[in-house]
Parts: sequence; C-alpha cells; structure tokens
Amino acid sequence: MQRRKFLGLGAGIFATVVAAPSMLSAENYRKKLPKAWKVKNDEKSKGEDMAGVNGAIKAVFGSDKTEDGKVKLKAPDIAENGAVVPLTFEADGAKKIALFQSADPESLVAIFDVPARGIPNYSVRIKMQQTGHVVVVAEIDGKLYKAEKKVKVTVGGCGG
Amino acid sequence: MRIKAKSKGDKTEVKVMMKHPMLSYREAKKKKKEANFIVYVTAKNEGAVVYEVSTSQFLSKNPYMKFYFKGGKKGEEVEITWVDLKGKTKTGKAKIK
Repeated sequence: MQRRKFLGLGAGIFATVVAAPSMLSAENYRKKLPKAWKVKNDEKSKGEDMAGVNGAIKAVFGSDKTEDGKVKLKAPDIAENGAVVPLTFEADGAKKIALFQSADPESLVAIFDVPARGIPNYSVRIKMQQTGHVVVVAEIDGKLYKAEKKVKVTVGGCGG
Repeated sequence: MRIKAKSKGDKTEVKVMMKHPMLSYREAKKKKKEANFIVYVTAKNEGAVVYEVSTSQFLSKNPYMKFYFKGGKKGEEVEITWVDLKGKTKTGKAKIK
C-alpha cells in the first residue's frame, strides 16, 4: 500500500507524512501505562480478592467507579483447562475495553482501543492458573460499565 | 499466522491465530527461559486501523482472536501485525472472502 503510494506519487516525504497519523492513532498501552500491567492479585485468596482487579481498573481508566450493564460477557462456568479459557465480550458504543481476572499473578490481561471502524465485540482465549473472576470494563460516553463472571478452573494453566 | 476474514454484509469478521509461545514470567522461570509474549496487536483494512489491542502474558499460547470491523469488501486485504516483549514483530495478510 505504502509502496504503491510512494511509487505513484514519486515523493518519499509524502509517504512519511501519510504514515505518521496512522501511527499516532495507535495506543500501545504497554508503553503508555507500564504500571497498570504490574498490579498484583492476592493469589492466596484463591481468586476471591478483587483488590488487584479494582486497582488495575483504576490504573487503566483513572477511576474504579463502575456501573453494571451495557457490557455482555460470555465465559464458561467451569474451565477444565485453565490454559485455554475462551471469552467473548461486547459493549455497544465503547471507545475502550479492558479485560481483567483475579486468578493470575497480575490482574490486567488486555486493553482494546476501538478505532473508528472497530466494533466492540471481541473474543480471546486466556490463561487462568486457578479459579477466579473475569472482569470486563468498558468506557461508554465517558462512563465505566462492568461485567463480571466467576470461572471455576479445574486444572490451572499458568505454570502454577 | 493464520487469518480468516469474511465479509458479512456491512461488516467483516476476522479470526486470527498467532504462533507464539506466550511464556509468562512464571512459566519462563520453570522452563529456565526468558519470558516473552505478544504485547500489541493491530489490524488494518486497506491502510485504516480497524483493531487494536495491548496484551499481557495471560493470553493463551498461540493466541486466538476474533473481531469485527465496519466495512471491508470481498477481495480487500486485512493485515495483522503483532509485537512481542522483545520487540520482534510479525505481519500476516489475508484477502476478505
């Protein structure tokens, strides 16, 4: 694409100018919020202590005040294999969605930015070393909405 | 990387499987290896970003993702790029069916 543009216009400067805005629209939250990924769960609570998840929500969104509703989360009741726990979540109108769990050493799993043509309906597979709560938080019209589900893990999948 | 992109009316469905061990810090320690996992994934349709996620060590090995985006026509390209903790990057492409 860029090569074609480059050749078509015969101007290298133009190609770099075109490339720059698309880079700026991208948010690598690894670089932007390095601390958010380090918020720890209390593993001894067997996935019941939510302080880590709430701390990570605050680190990502600047607040942990959430409302219920608007977020749909599909997760298994029981995961026989904690190495592969399938999740699907949906939040119409969301600009940003983040995924957390209370089972692993740290809470944060992923942060999705929803681009202009993005549709906030995502599926991923995650590792859970023990039973815990999966939490999805979505930012919709400046408010935070949350969905939570407990997943019982029979065989842990985080090398634990 | 295996990518399947399918046009579904006014949107496109994308399924992708990325080949990566996704070694968490704990798993790496056990295997006496260095932790490494995909940290950032983007997808583009004809140059426009349509999917973007920052990820952690807790995605499963060989991460699978499914997502949708508005628009996208049959024959157009979907390009997916990942970056891992060590800075290695990989790009895969598929035509929308």
